[in-house]
Order: sequence, then structure tokens, then C-alpha cells
Amino acid sequence: MDDHAKPSLVLGIDTGGTYTDAVLLEYETRRVLASHKSLTTKRDFSIGIENVIEGIHIEDPSAIRMVSISTTLATNAIAEGKGKRVALLLIGYDPDLISRFKMQERFATPNYHFFDGGHDLYGREKKDLDLAGILARVNQIKGQVEAIAVSSYFSPLNPEHENRVYKAIASVCDLPVVLGHQLSTKLGSVERATTAALNASLLAVLRDFIIAVRRAMERRKIDAPLMVVRGDGTLMSDEFAARTPVETIHSGPAASAIGGRFLSRLDDALILDVGGTTTDIALITSGQVTVSEDGASVGNYKTSVKAANLLSIALGGDSHIHLGHDQQILVGPERVTPLAYLAWKHPRVAKQLKALALRTWSQATPDWLEYWFLLREPQENLLKSQRDRELVEFLEGGPQPLPEILKHLQILHTAQVGVEELMRQEIIGRAGLTSTDLMHIDGRYDVWDREAAQHAWKVFCQFQFRDQETLREQVWIQMSEMIVHAVVTFLASRPLELGDRQRSLEGTDRDMGRWFFYNSLYQAHPQLETRFRLHTPIIGIGAPASIFLPDVGEKLNSELILPEHHEVANAIGAIAGSVMVEEELLIYPKLSKSGLEVFGYYVQASDERHEFEELGEALAHARTLSQERALGAAIRSGADNPEVTLEELTDGLDTYRIRAKAIGNPRLTR
Amino acid sequence: MELERVDTKRAYEWIQERITTLELQPGSPINEQQLAAEMDMGLVPVREALKLLAHEKLVVITPRHGLYVADVNVPDLEELSEMRLSLEGLSARLAASRASDDDLVVLEALRHEQASTDPGDSRRLFDIDHKFHEAIARAAHNKYLGDALERLFGLSQRLWYLALPQMGFLPSAVEKHLDLVQAIRARDGDRAEAIMRQHVAEFYGQVREVLENPEDKGASQ
Repeated sequence: MDDHAKPSLVLGIDTGGTYTDAVLLEYETRRVLASHKSLTTKRDFSIGIENVIEGIHIEDPSAIRMVSISTTLATNAIAEGKGKRVALLLIGYDPDLISRFKMQERFATPNYHFFDGGHDLYGREKKDLDLAGILARVNQIKGQVEAIAVSSYFSPLNPEHENRVYKAIASVCDLPVVLGHQLSTKLGSVERATTAALNASLLAVLRDFIIAVRRAMERRKIDAPLMVVRGDGTLMSDEFAARTPVETIHSGPAASAIGGRFLSRLDDALILDVGGTTTDIALITSGQVTVSEDGASVGNYKTSVKAANLLSIALGGDSHIHLGHDQQILVGPERVTPLAYLAWKHPRVAKQLKALALRTWSQATPDWLEYWFLLREPQENLLKSQRDRELVEFLEGGPQPLPEILKHLQILHTAQVGVEELMRQEIIGRAGLTSTDLMHIDGRYDVWDREAAQHAWKVFCQFQFRDQETLREQVWIQMSEMIVHAVVTFLASRPLELGDRQRSLEGTDRDMGRWFFYNSLYQAHPQLETRFRLHTPIIGIGAPASIFLPDVGEKLNSELILPEHHEVANAIGAIAGSVMVEEELLIYPKLSKSGLEVFGYYVQASDERHEFEELGEALAHARTLSQERALGAAIRSGADNPEVTLEELTDGLDTYRIRAKAIGNPRLTR
Repeated sequence: MELERVDTKRAYEWIQERITTLELQPGSPINEQQLAAEMDMGLVPVREALKLLAHEKLVVITPRHGLYVADVNVPDLEELSEMRLSLEGLSARLAASRASDDDLVVLEALRHEQASTDPGDSRRLFDIDHKFHEAIARAAHNKYLGDALERLFGLSQRLWYLALPQMGFLPSAVEKHLDLVQAIRARDGDRAEAIMRQHVAEFYGQVREVLENPEDKGASQ
């Protein structure tokens, strides 16, 4: 009985590009009890998660009723090519067509194979399935891959060939097999193949991750269901996630949007999440994150997975401020460790920067502001060359500025070091000037070494003969311009190439779009005033939001809302989402061979098919069936008392889709 | 659920493999702590795994003497072979009447794979043989039969490892499989059953010989 008095606690975790955040929340009252940040470990996300679970203050782990997690793991694994090797079996695809339009580059694996089979637009078998050929090929390639993806032509209308291939492959080898029709009911055959291949390559990656999270939970004696955030911000159980890892693409930004809504209680808003590495933009309308029905893109691949409609730009609190080739000031895209932090950790760096600031212009070049340092002791096998070893040995004595490193290694340019792999492995880190340093100088953020930031900024400005304050102002303006530009192009869904502001406003650049953009920001025209006016408020999320966004809000003539705990809203979003399952059934006519006669209608679900004489009967059955299926799946996926809504669409050609959506709050354990 | 008890599952698979491959000798005592240390996990999942293995008759738990790996003896072998002879025979007979075209393609593919595998690679051949028997059980289209056979196969696997040093992989098995696929394709249930029974009987005959003449085992190594 005592348990009823206890409030339900939930733990939300978000792995961002720079930080992994955790937040402990009282579910009913939305009260934040504790939060914690750890550095994200890109080489293995589970390390950062384990650290954050170890680090957060939890008084009574047994009171936790749910853990939910949003992760960039899938997105990252795809972008960095860290997924497992996959063979993609394409059934009924036309090899000539694929190669003529160079579509093979979109398959997400170089290991693809064509076979006879597949169905047509009315679910009729196009050609006999070449099962013997498939098994012979599988026997040849099974040693080279870790998973198999299968996509058959028009399989959402008739998955028979995919199902037969699955059974046969499972009989002859032990590799996991992913079927296209189980991931998407859309008819686009290339996107479905890509989705299946990506899903197959992520299976083991996400599984290992979930196991690591579960172990960390066990160590802290947290016994609760584990949920994973989808790319549209809804939740699924870890079991579902382990089967459909591709659905976690973009789950981080989606969680931020959900968290922003949860904290602000606003149903319509633009969400701007400023992280360490990126700024993500999403839109909430009528209480929902707007979703791109088209399918999410990640890296160069277009999938048929639904995900939040969002735009991510490489600008964050730790974006590198540096000089471009023609001496223009650039912010980002790389993320580096702020100098204020490095100097705070290593007093020698602080001293060096102080001495540097006293040197003359010609001796204190901006390359002295870039430091490399050792993040962790590397295992011997990760050091590929003699130069790698020399570099690591040199940095064991502490961080070093770039010119010293080049001198020590007796080389002229960083390209000669080939240090990218060591940086990717998080063995060597880079530090430099960042917006976080500027915040220290402004006194808007004051946790690390402010003086070091000032010295570094002096060097940077002195080199360009610029006044420190003016230049700082300019960099801030440049950053808000970048964010406003992103918001405008995101909402307008069209690109706008930015050029030089001066040229645009003075008329040497004749482009109207650019003029409009700049004039709306700076009111340069003596007679004609233009303005942006954003009708929805902006919800700022992430630690730097309070510094980056006020100016953006002004330029967009909108209200900026920074809810309490906005700095951990992404982790809150991981627990604030609903559990959702969608079941889409296809209803289409059964035609005679000639295509002239309609014999009846099929109702096709992913793993069952029914036949009816009349369309009305078929639709009625589809409505009931989709509701039942969605409800059952939502309950299995951890929804509490889900509600089902129906949507009916038509594809034309006498083909219909009935979509049942079951949504409920996550079921908390008692 | 599967992901919640990953450590138990891992422990189960790890110990089971060591028992079937005789790394943990039949009749030898089991030390829970040592296993837990070797696998770098807590005692709880190891105990859970051992309970499951006891249920499968690979581990014996006694109140007095603690835990040990189940012994292999001739009476056990006889009982096991009786069951497998009948059920594998039934499986082949049913497959002959029920196998679909796809089932035949799978059997054919496995037979090809077996024929093209290096005869010295006995573990791989054994794995293919296992898949072949599974495929026939699937072609029989009776899921209870399939489940029962799978369990019996697990127990027989250990016998095979025991006999391996003497007999290696049966070269005749490749031909047997070819005959069997032909019989199933011809829908000849009698013949399919007879071939299968003979194939299984031959296996147990060889294992029996090894068990009855343990001194040969030492001599051949």
C-alpha cells in the first residue's frame, strides 16, 4: 500500500553530439528532482550513458518506474559508416534501371544482388521467385557479411516473396535477416531497400547499446522498463527498438522538441535546441512535432522511415571560431574544446596564453590558439604509425599548441600528421577559440578560466588589427544571422545561399531573396521596411540557448521562451513522449491476368492477408483489423490504455490505406 | 524480455557450448564462482543458466554433492537413440508427403553446401547436418515434432563430440542426404523413413562403440 504514496519517478537520458544528459523526474507533477551531464563518448555511446547513470543523484532507485533514452547512435553509425556489413538481396528490381539512374549508390551497402521474382502494382506475381539462386548466393556471401536485408518489388502489397526468402535463408544460415515490408508500407522500392539495408546494419549496434544500458541500470539497481525514442519523438519498448533500430534516426532532436513542449506547455512553437556541436530546429503544431511523411534522410541516404521534420546546422556553444582562407571569420562547423576550459584544467596552458598575448603581432599568429591534447591513454594497437606514437608521447606531457606540435614532428602542415583517426577514436582532442570563450569574456558564463579566454581573444583580434569589442559583437551577429537564416529556410522549405551582406544591401548583388533577408534583419532601406514576423513563440533549449537566442528572437519579432530546466529539455523529452504504434493496411483490387476484371479485394497487413468480394466488406474488415493490431502492438510496446484513431487514405488506382494509430502514455511499473 | 536477461542467456550459451564440446567433461564438478569469474558476471545469471541446463539434463544438481556435468552412459544413449530413430523417421516420412517446393530448394541447397565443404572441417559439416535435419523437420510441417527433435539433437551433439576423435564426420552422410532428398522429392515416404532411420542408427552405432571401448579413445589420441 505504501507504494501508492510513493511518487512515480522516471529517468530520461539523451545522448547529444557533445553531452549525454540525464534527468530524474517526478512523472505526475513534472518536477525535476536531479539532472546530470557527462561527455558523450562517440567511440562507444554506452560509456557516456553508463557514466551519466552512475553520476546522477538517485535517492531510491526502486522508485524508478521507467527509463527512456534518445540516442544519436543510429544516425552517427550511419554517418560514420560504423554499421555492420550487410548483403542486400533485391527481388524483382530492374538492374538496368537501377544502374541507369545510379540508384545503387543509395542502397547503403556495396554488397547488393539482383534476383528474379517480385510483384506488380496489383500484387500479382511478376515472375517466379528464384529461391535456388538466392540460396546459392547466400552460401557464397554469408562469410562476408553480418546481416542480410531483403527487399522485393511491391512487397508492401504482397510480401509473399520476402517471407519465403526469409524462411529459406533462416533454414540455411544463422545471420539475422531483415525484410523490407516489415519496415515500411510505402511503395518506393529504392527507399525501402535502403531502409532494410540500414536497419540490418544497425541491428547489432543498437542491441549492444541496449544491453549496455540495461547492465548500467542493473548496477544501479534500477528495475524498470526501458523505452527508446523514435525519430518522430514517440516511444517504443527496447525490444521493438532492437528490431527496428532504423526508427531511432533523429530521435535526439525529436526528443528536444517534445521536451520543449512538455516544459512550456505550449502547443504551437518553434523549437531551437542549441547544443555544443549543432543547433536543431523543429516545429510543434497542435501539440505534435511536425513529421516529414516523405521519410527521413541521413547522410546521403533517403529512407522511408517517418521522422521529425527538422533542420540541423553545425553551430553550437563549442563551435570553432577561426579564420578562413581569405581571412574571413568562420564559426564552425567543427566542435572543439573551449580554451577557457583547457586553461582551467591545465594551468600551463593559461600561462602560455598569457605570454602569447604579450608577444607582437607577427609572433602571435592565430595558429598558436589551437591546442591538441590527449583525451585518454590509447591502446597500443590503435597507434598505426611511428608518427602516431611520437605524437601521443609528446602530448603525454600535456596539451601543446599546434606550431609546437608541427615543430616537434618536423612537419609543415597538419595534413601530414593524418591525425583524423586518432581524433575520431577520441584519443586526441582539439581545443580552440569558441563561442563559449566569448561568453566568458562577456561575463555571461563564468565557470572556467575567463582570463585565458581574454588573452586568446586579444591575440585573435590583434592579428587582424581589429578592436576586440567590435569583433566580438560581429561574431555574435554572425551567429544569430546563421540561426535566423536556418529558421527562415527551414520554415520556407527552400534554400537561400547567403553572400556578403554589404554587397547585398548596396545593390552590387542583384539577388532579391538575399536583399530581402538582409533588409529584414537590418532595416537598411531608407523607405522600404521589411521584417520577419514569426507567429509562434520560440522555445529555447540547451545550455547556450539563453545567450544565443535573445537576438534571434528579436530579429524574428517573436517571443523567446526559456522554460525552467531548458538546458536538459532533451532528456526530459525522452520521457515526455507517448508510446505510439501505427498499423497501416493496404486494400487493393484482385485483378484478372488481363487486368480488365476485378474479382474482389485484398486486405494486406504485414504478415496476414484476407480476401473479400466487395470493397465495402474489405474496408470494414481493414478498419477492425488495423485497430486490433495497433492496439495489441501498442500494449506490447509498453503503452498504458492506448487510444486508437483511424485515418483513411487513397493511393488512387482503386487502392486504399487504412492507418490505425494507437497512442498512450508509457506504462509505468508499480 | 529477451534483453532483460542477457547475462543469463550469455551464461547459458557459454556453459552449454562447453558441455557439448566436452570442454567441461561429463561427470566433472561445476564451480559456480569460477564460471562467474571466467565470464566476468555475477553469480545470479550463472545460477539461472545452470538451472536451465539442469532442466535440459545437461547438468545434474544434487543436494549433497552439488553440481556436476551430466554423465554420458550407454543406457542413456540407448534411450536417446530409440527416441531419435522413431521421431527422425517420422519426420522424414511426413516431409515426403508434405514438403513444399521451397522446402525442397532448401534441402537441395544444404546438400550442395555439404558436398562442397572440406571433408576435414568436421564442425562445419556437423552444423550443416544439423540444419539439414532441422529443414526436414520443418518440411514435415509439425511444430511439436520439430521442437521435440531439437531437444534430442542438443543431447546427441555431446555424443558426437565424444566420438569425433575416432570417427570424424561420416562420409557416407553426404550420399545418405542425397538419397533422402531424392526420396522426399519422389514423395516416397517409406524410403525416406528407412534412409533416415539407417542414417541415425549408424551414428548411434558408432558412438556406442566408442563408449563401450573407452580404452580405444585414449589410444587414438
